[in-house]
Amino acid sequence: MKLPSTLWRAAGASLALLLAAGCGRTPETAAGADGRPTVALVVKTLNNPFFIDMQKGAEEAAKALNANLLVQAAEREVDVERQMQIVENLIQRKVSALLITPSGSREIVSAIVKANKAGIPVIILDTRADAAALTAAGGSVAAFIGSDNYEGGRIAGEHLVARMNGKATVAVLEGIPGHETGDARLRGFREALKAHPEMKIVVSQPANWERDLGYNVTQNLLQAHPGVNALFAASDLMALGATEAIAAAGKTGQIAVVGFDAIDEARAAIKSGAMAGSIAQSPAQMGRMGVEAAVKLLGGGTLTPEIAVPIELIK
Amino acid sequence: MKIPPVIASHARQFGTLLVFMVLCVVLTVLTPHFLTVSNLLNVAQQTSINAVIAVGLTYVIISAGIDLSVGSIVAFSGVVMAGALQAGWPVAAAVLTGLAVGTGCGIVNGLLIAFGRLPPFIATLGMMSVARGLGLLHTDGRPVSGFGDAFRWLANGEVVGVPVPVLIMLGVYAAAHFVLRRTKFGRYVFAIGGNEEASLLSGVPVAAYKVAVYAVSGLLAALGSVLLTARLNSAQPIAGINYELDAIAATVIGGTSLMGGQGSVIGTLIGALIMGVLRNGLNLLGVSSFFQQVVIGAVIIAAVLLDTVFKRQKR
Repeated sequence: MKLPSTLWRAAGASLALLLAAGCGRTPETAAGADGRPTVALVVKTLNNPFFIDMQKGAEEAAKALNANLLVQAAEREVDVERQMQIVENLIQRKVSALLITPSGSREIVSAIVKANKAGIPVIILDTRADAAALTAAGGSVAAFIGSDNYEGGRIAGEHLVARMNGKATVAVLEGIPGHETGDARLRGFREALKAHPEMKIVVSQPANWERDLGYNVTQNLLQAHPGVNALFAASDLMALGATEAIAAAGKTGQIAVVGFDAIDEARAAIKSGAMAGSIAQSPAQMGRMGVEAAVKLLGGGTLTPEIAVPIELIK
Repeated sequence: MKIPPVIASHARQFGTLLVFMVLCVVLTVLTPHFLTVSNLLNVAQQTSINAVIAVGLTYVIISAGIDLSVGSIVAFSGVVMAGALQAGWPVAAAVLTGLAVGTGCGIVNGLLIAFGRLPPFIATLGMMSVARGLGLLHTDGRPVSGFGDAFRWLANGEVVGVPVPVLIMLGVYAAAHFVLRRTKFGRYVFAIGGNEEASLLSGVPVAAYKVAVYAVSGLLAALGSVLLTARLNSAQPIAGINYELDAIAATVIGGTSLMGGQGSVIGTLIGALIMGVLRNGLNLLGVSSFFQQVVIGAVIIAAVLLDTVFKRQKR
């Protein structure tokens, strides 16, 4: 029986794999080893252009400020448990500061409390942690840096009202239910429509921030509500899915689609007329401001607890 | 070279164990943050959920079946339990309700497979969708969060310095190992997986035991859900997506054959630990999230490759 040699081969293979991983890693320096602070950025996922822009902004700031930057994310945006694991592991690594965009506003609270206990400051980007849950758990964050999503939703709503001359049959694609960012956008959007009784929201369904779900949900709601002539999606990925479903139904141009985020593809769709508008956030600026805030805090400075990142309507 | 009989009879588990130990040694060399008591407890805690669910999968796979519904059962049983907790039920009653829901789903799987003669793949694929949908219906798509300290103790508590989820995991493995190796139930599970026809002819009540196997899988998925819900302080109807794949991976890395009739829960525990240690270590090293997926996939393939190479040599 040649068992041992097989085992050694397998062991050797895994060793080689890990060494390869080791070579691809960022230099291992907890604060102090070379005097540079290590700032960790934990985003929701890295397969969304929004968070890639955020990463780029953070990288620029880290370079400018001579800080180490670690960027980590779960494979899936909805995987709150994996995000918690990543935060726990980074706490074990003793990073100097944590920048987090929570995958779940309430689910992130336990991880924040753990960072608090380890004495690692937490700055929240883009999506708020649930304030009540955080207080109840005795946790705290150093600052929130993000867009005013309520205001963004309101601007999107007013744009749609103006575009439809105050009269439309409206469909809404929501993000993951119970998600603070999406809820704020929807509240703002509904608030803007309130003053216009002829703007009727006939259907509002979650498409979980995903493009393919945006497509499917839109396809179904067009079957159920053929009269829909305006659509608001709480993110561009869902809006782009919707425009494809609308095109498949042969209704391009007949339904005014407004999204949120103004990612490149959405801007192109607005130019071509497939979309009626989107709300531009500045994820790169969020990432940049996040790293700057972390470095300032580590240097003994104080932060404003709420830092607003500008938004604008793209049409 | 003479191999001691105890090693020869458990060669496959020793192979897995060796891979695990090599991994640990490599990580210890590469990062000072890996081999610390707090990080090892951290990894054990992170592994506990997948490890508990994987025990059920190990039973199912040894019986030559498959269970794709465990991830959805995690979500469904979790939100039912969370609803009960929020309605003010005592912790024990709510937890038992959650476990009962999981077991119930498992029993339905088992009945469809044993008496409805459905292939396990199809029956549990259906349940995967049904349980997910029921969970979404139960909460209207929203997470249910915020529980009392007594319930959260299941995730955050410690007994003589060891986290409660780790103790629960070890308890489950001790019991599952005993049942599989020392009881009639265990022998029948192996027999059914090895040769169903022969088992039937020699008087094994195959149908009843199949139902029991899927019931165990459902029960353990629900137990995993208890740990997950307590850990996040939240039950999400979209929780547990892809958990079935993680559990299958742990089982397969641990040397259980997808053809049935062979396997061990101890191997599965090591398999789950390998996955947990890999994810932890790659986070500690700051390896790109995308590369992490490549490494984990490669380890799964390497483990199964090891298995087939070994079997070929034994012949």
